[in-house]
Amino acid sequence: MNFLAPLFLTLGAAVGVPLLLHLMRRNIATRVDFPAARYLLRAEAEHSRSLRLRNLLLMLLRVLLILVLALAAAKPFLPGLGVGHGPTAVAIVLDNSISTTAVVGGRAVFDRLRDATRQLIGASTPEDRLWLVTSDGRVRGGSRDALLAELARIAPTEGAGDLALALARAASTVQGSTLPAKSVAVATDAQRTSWTTATRIAPALALLVPSGAPPSNRAVLSAVPEPARWTPRGSLTARVETRDSVGYRIMIGERTLSRGATGRGEPILLRASPPERGWQAGRVELEPDDFPGDDARHFALWIGAAPTVTADASAGSFAATAVSTLIADGRAAPGSTIRVASADAASALPALLTPPADAVRLGAANRELERLGIPWRFGALQRSTVVARGGRVDNISVAERYQLVRAGVGVGDTLATAGGEPWVVAGPGYVLIGSRLDPAATQLPVRAPFVPWLADMLAVRLAAPTGDIGAPIQALPGRPIRLPAGAETLESQAGSRRSITAELMDAPEERGVWFVLRGGRRVGAVVVNAPPEESALERWPAPTLAARLGGVSARSASTNAGWVGDTFAAGTTRPAGTPLLVVALILLAAEALAVRTSRPTAA
Amino acid sequence: MESTRVPRADLFDPAALSALGHFEIVARWIVDGFLSGLHRSPRKGFSVEFADFRPYQPGDDLRYVDWKIAARADRWVVKQYEEETNLRATIILDVSRSMDWKGVSEEPRVTKRAYAEQLTAALALLLLRQRDAVGLIRFDDAVRTSIPPRARSGQWRRLVGALVEPGNGRASDLASALGQAARLVTRRGMVILISDMLVDVEAALPALRGLRAAGHDVNVLHVMDPAERDFTLAGEARYTDPESLLDVPAAAADVRAAYRTTVDHVIAEWKQRLGALGAGYEVILTDQPYAIPLRLAFGARERRG
Repeated sequence: MNFLAPLFLTLGAAVGVPLLLHLMRRNIATRVDFPAARYLLRAEAEHSRSLRLRNLLLMLLRVLLILVLALAAAKPFLPGLGVGHGPTAVAIVLDNSISTTAVVGGRAVFDRLRDATRQLIGASTPEDRLWLVTSDGRVRGGSRDALLAELARIAPTEGAGDLALALARAASTVQGSTLPAKSVAVATDAQRTSWTTATRIAPALALLVPSGAPPSNRAVLSAVPEPARWTPRGSLTARVETRDSVGYRIMIGERTLSRGATGRGEPILLRASPPERGWQAGRVELEPDDFPGDDARHFALWIGAAPTVTADASAGSFAATAVSTLIADGRAAPGSTIRVASADAASALPALLTPPADAVRLGAANRELERLGIPWRFGALQRSTVVARGGRVDNISVAERYQLVRAGVGVGDTLATAGGEPWVVAGPGYVLIGSRLDPAATQLPVRAPFVPWLADMLAVRLAAPTGDIGAPIQALPGRPIRLPAGAETLESQAGSRRSITAELMDAPEERGVWFVLRGGRRVGAVVVNAPPEESALERWPAPTLAARLGGVSARSASTNAGWVGDTFAAGTTRPAGTPLLVVALILLAAEALAVRTSRPTAA
Repeated sequence: MESTRVPRADLFDPAALSALGHFEIVARWIVDGFLSGLHRSPRKGFSVEFADFRPYQPGDDLRYVDWKIAARADRWVVKQYEEETNLRATIILDVSRSMDWKGVSEEPRVTKRAYAEQLTAALALLLLRQRDAVGLIRFDDAVRTSIPPRARSGQWRRLVGALVEPGNGRASDLASALGQAARLVTRRGMVILISDMLVDVEAALPALRGLRAAGHDVNVLHVMDPAERDFTLAGEARYTDPESLLDVPAAAADVRAAYRTTVDHVIAEWKQRLGALGAGYEVILTDQPYAIPLRLAFGARERRG
């Protein structure tokens, strides 16, 4: 038994009053003349037994009445007794991920979840503590009215959120409460992919999964331009999830680049050489369905002239052949803007640099690197065969490599490793590889990814102006992204702008393409798309998910009322104030009845 | 014929009536009101011997209207006749301390003694107007007053004068009073005992039995305050009998029901035991109009006559 106001229990001491009155009856000081006292004496003698019993009954009734009133004033909570529910700490996890925008039964799932949440908040009492946790893990607390106002402002997100995080936060929030009953109420569409990483929580769990099967969904799962910088030719590959044939449209900016129809399991492949130049936003759209959130997928690409490249003899024959191939394919042009050469033979940037063929030239190569401002040096020669990791060169065998040693604090990315050490590094205007482009040093020149890799290095890393982002930054709505140094503004396709406050910041919540501006010039793009997993609307069976998240004691419901009941059923006690007041009234009536038998009746 | 409707004082509340004047005057109002309510003159013996004329009063038998005078003087008079007394009544009035009590009430109330004295005065006047002989014995722990029954004029004033004499003895020696009555009334007559009957039943019954054996009609008017009847007092107190100083602590609310049952038993016991003797017994509450006890006493007198 718990009490909200235990101090009121001290009122119970008042039971001494009727007891005292009962015991002190024979010590009455007041005298009243009453000639018929003999009748009174006779009455007491004749009815002594019933009078004693009646007095005892009255005393007991009054003692009980005082005790019950004291108990009621202390606001007790008793197991199995009472109406309503005991004070409960409730954290409501409201799934507002993009999958809840799916329309089931003519109504978006999110609307139904929000209605249920509103009903749950409305069913709370001032003694309850409530928190509202959305799928992004944000915890909101406050009064019932404040939460209702907050709930009205919540809209579905453009992404998947992190329901596992939200659930964990909800659990830890209620665990921190001092209230005796703790409950986590989850309103979700039970999407399988959303709850895969969630772990079981300790507090009681009440799960609401609205009835109705998820709609048959069509989705654009990916849209990838190849390469990221079109010169100006390129291709776009889109993967579509559909059960039957569906129409699609590919757009660059507001111009339709391609239309067509695709079927189940058929990727969309578009080769094009669009006339646009610079950073462009594009999207792949499908015919709309009951889950419009994934009917379009955004992509960004840079379109421009092919870079002019020359392959120095010092880089080896494989490099020269590959450059020739790229020129022949139109993905590069002959010229001297970009050099592919041995480091000791490089005279300017941008350049793709390899170690010198002769180890004797290693010193000269390092001096040249220093002169060009590249913060890397060739270190010791490693002859053990290792496997490269990273990008297109993944799993490429490396037999001979120079360790790449960091020298200075300049900007530089490690694009691939070998033996756990940097093997391909890049920075402004340079790409440096630790092995010669020779099959004796690495299998890369004789493997299929070599030419595409070289094309990427030329187009993305070297052809872009200094400071530009080679490839667009792929982001999830609201998730952290790292922006290039010096980036000032993010600009949406519609022209709205958002200042960049730090290199590491959260991506915009809205899906689409956001151009990165520096000095008023587009230097890159952030592509915000919902994770493709959100397109898989398959659900967990509600009891299974409830058991998975809350153990065997967890409850699941498909109706609002059931969910509300389950949530507050977590409290093992109920407020017993009202039943006790009813008992007090009954005792009062009994006492009045007992007293009434002594009152005079009308003559 | 001109008649004036006079409010009947016998139906007034006793307390309100007592505030209107001396009980001698009040007694006249009561008797006049009572007689007018009978709708016929209760008087008998008109055929015996002419005595006087008097103005007609509502209720007088029209047979005795002197029509000659009415025709001559346009005035209605009735003829009165001297009549022999045919009843000797003795009123035995308890004036002990227990009678000098009234319960607390929102309505004004008279003490049992005041009520009994007013009733005695009215009853005596009523009987005397019937040409009955009326005597009075007042008693408490001793016989305080003893006036033999007489029917002559001036008897009522004598009785009324005796009523104002002191009493308030600490006990009620009913047996002595009844014995005195037996000695005073040698001829068979009517004995009216007005008392709160807070006496020992076993001690009182032999004396009453003696009166009955002597051929007297015995009527007991048991005067009770409503608070004594229903125990309408409130609160917890030590309830003390002012005569015997018997002291009973009690909570009124707790014992009220039992008390009422006991009083019912007491009344039933008096009624049964007096009935067995052939004596009349009535309980009179001090908030009842005097018409009620008068009617009871008059009824007894009528039955005897």
